[in-house]
Amino acid sequence: MVRAVLAGDVERYAELVGRYRDRYARYAARMLGSVDAAEDAVQDAFIRAYDQLAQCRDPDNFAGWFFLILRNRCFAERRRAARIGPMLDVETQPIAAPEQPDGVMETKERVRALQEALLQLTPDQREVFVLKHIEGLSYEEIAARIGGSVPSLKMRMHRAYDRLRERLKNRT
Amino acid sequence: MTGYDPLVKRLLDGELALAELPPELQAEGAEALRLLAVTDRLPVTLPAALDARVMEAVRARAASPSRRVLRWIAEPRELRLRVRPWVLGAGLAAAALVLLLRAPGARVSVREPGATAARAAAPERVFVRFELYAPAAKQVGLAGTFNQWDQAATPLVRAAKAGVWTVTLALPAGQHQYAFVVDGRRWVTDPAAPAVDDGFGRRNSVIAVGGTGARAL
Repeated sequence: MVRAVLAGDVERYAELVGRYRDRYARYAARMLGSVDAAEDAVQDAFIRAYDQLAQCRDPDNFAGWFFLILRNRCFAERRRAARIGPMLDVETQPIAAPEQPDGVMETKERVRALQEALLQLTPDQREVFVLKHIEGLSYEEIAARIGGSVPSLKMRMHRAYDRLRERLKNRT
Repeated sequence: MTGYDPLVKRLLDGELALAELPPELQAEGAEALRLLAVTDRLPVTLPAALDARVMEAVRARAASPSRRVLRWIAEPRELRLRVRPWVLGAGLAAAALVLLLRAPGARVSVREPGATAARAAAPERVFVRFELYAPAAKQVGLAGTFNQWDQAATPLVRAAKAGVWTVTLALPAGQHQYAFVVDGRRWVTDPAAPAVDDGFGRRNSVIAVGGTGARAL
C-alpha cells in the first residue's frame, strides 16, 4: 500500500488510515490524557506521515514508522501543554473506567486519580508506564520500539512508581 | 512515606509474585498492586470521521503543484533510448578506431607531401613532419590547435625538393586541426589529410597523434 501511494495512488492511503487508526489510539489517549486529544494527534500524525512517506525506509513496517511519528506528536503536544498551563481536565474529559461489580464509584475515583497522577509524570516516565502497563509490552519490546536500553527503561519506570506512590498516597 | 522498596518495584514489573516478598513488604506490595489494578486498559476507538478528514488533507496535498513537482523529481522512472542501427554502427566504428590508434605497436603513418610523423623522445609526444608543395609561395606558416592558430608561430622552410615547404613538430597525443598559411594571407588545407568544417565557413585539416605515431583522419 505504501508503495502504491508513493507511486501516486493517493486513495490507497485510506486503507492505511483505516488499518492503523485505532492501533495506537489508546497509547495516544493515555499519553495526552483524553480521547479528543488523541484523535487530533492521530489525525495530524497520519497527515504528517503522508507528507514524509517517501522517507519511510521500510514500507513493510509502516506501523512502526507511523508510531514514531505519533510519538513525536504526543511529546510535542505535551511540551506545548506544559508551556501554556495546566494539563487537560481529566475530570471533564474522563477516560472510561473499567467496570467493577462493587464499589463502582470508588473505583472510578481511583481510576481518575491514577490518570491524573500519570499526567504529572514526565513524558518519558509516562510513556514507559503506558507501554508496559497499558499496552502490555515487555521492557525488551519497549526498547525495540522507542530505543534505549532495558536498564535505563527500568530506572525510568521505577522512578515513575515512586512518583505515583507519592501522588496517590492518600487514595490507595 | 518514601519510594517503593526495590523488591516491590520488581513485583510491579512482574518479576516477582506477592508471595515471594518478605512478610514486612507484603502490605507495601499489596498497596502497589492496588495502584496498578485500576490502570485503564480499555481499548480506544477513534471516530471513522477521522479517516475522511485525513484523506481530505491528503488529497489537497497530492493536488498541490509543488508536491507534484517534488514527486516528479523524486520518483524513479524508466528512460528508454531508441538508437538507429546506423548510429550504433558509427559509434562502434569510432570506438574501434580509437582502440586501433591507442593499440601498442600502431604504425606511424607517413604521408607525402602532407604531415608525416615519427616517435619523439618523450613517449607522450610524437614528431610530425608537415609538408606542402607550394612552388610559388614566398613564405608558408603552419597554424593549428597546437599553437593557438598563430600563423607566425610555426614557419615552414624550403625543403631540398623543389617547391616543397616543410616543418617538423613534436605534438602531444590527440587530435589536432591545422592549416597552412601561404604568404600570410591564404589558408590552405593539407591535400594529404582529411578536412573538417571549422564552423565558420572554412575547412581545417585533421591529424590524430597516438602514443606511438600519428595518423591523418
